[in-house]
Amino acid sequence: MNKQKRPLWKRLLVEEIGIEFKACLYFFCILFYYSMYRLIGGSSVADILHMAEMILLTYAMGYAQFYLMHNFDEAEKLGGKEIFFLIICTALYTAASYIAGWFDKNLAVTAGFFFYIAFVYVCAFLIYKFKRNAEGKILNEDLKAFKERRKNR
Amino acid sequence: MKYTVIHVPDGEDEVIVRYSELSPEVEQVLSVLRGQQPRLLGSREGEQVMIAPGDILYIECVDSKSFACTAEDVFRLEHTMTQLEQILCDINFFRCSRSMIINIDKVESLRSLSSNRIDATMLGGEHIIISRRYASEFRKLLRGGRDYE
Repeated sequence: MNKQKRPLWKRLLVEEIGIEFKACLYFFCILFYYSMYRLIGGSSVADILHMAEMILLTYAMGYAQFYLMHNFDEAEKLGGKEIFFLIICTALYTAASYIAGWFDKNLAVTAGFFFYIAFVYVCAFLIYKFKRNAEGKILNEDLKAFKERRKNR
Repeated sequence: MKYTVIHVPDGEDEVIVRYSELSPEVEQVLSVLRGQQPRLLGSREGEQVMIAPGDILYIECVDSKSFACTAEDVFRLEHTMTQLEQILCDINFFRCSRSMIINIDKVESLRSLSSNRIDATMLGGEHIIISRRYASEFRKLLRGGRDYE
């Protein structure tokens, strides 16, 4: 049957790619909000240090989500545990943005950032759900084709 | 069961099966000779029975003991999971986790789950999770690219 086991390094690499993909996804969402804040404030320049903080934070949060929070944004349903983790992560991003001064410690913008990040998490959850539904359809088509092939042997 | 192997320098190959009672072991030998699908030797309430793999929904290993679940019954199998993998490798069976082997013919539908896992709904309505480790191989198999084929 399926004799070949996937080696440990390969599994770790797949996990790492998943975490990095997620870090990039959230980084670009944060960067969008940050850029909009800057543009509305009349500046077309982004602080490199802020961007470095953002990517490092999203990377660290990616690890925390994967190893500590059961990848809650990829969960089957948004239950109590998932919402709890969503609030924790959102609060951590918001606190980091305030401490690092991404939005010049403006409380209104920081509060807006909190809701924005929560919205991003909900969107990510829905995107993963739609993706899985599409994959499910393909899987069932493949299953049907597999059975047909075996029958015609 | 006693058996004798005799090498003959020429002439047609011949197998003679001598039995006093058509026991499950004898039936197993006969099914191999007839070129039929291998039958599995199992037991239920102390009674030995031969199980056709086509009737099995899935095989589960609990406390190092293998059990075959059909639509109506559960049978204790004499084989280990590794032996079962070898016996069933040419039929539509797939090792979907460390402790489970499913009959793909008896899978009604599939659902993609998070972390690259797959939820297989069997004809009896049971849900079996194909773990992340085996899911890629399963997808490949469905698309006609099984490694050992």
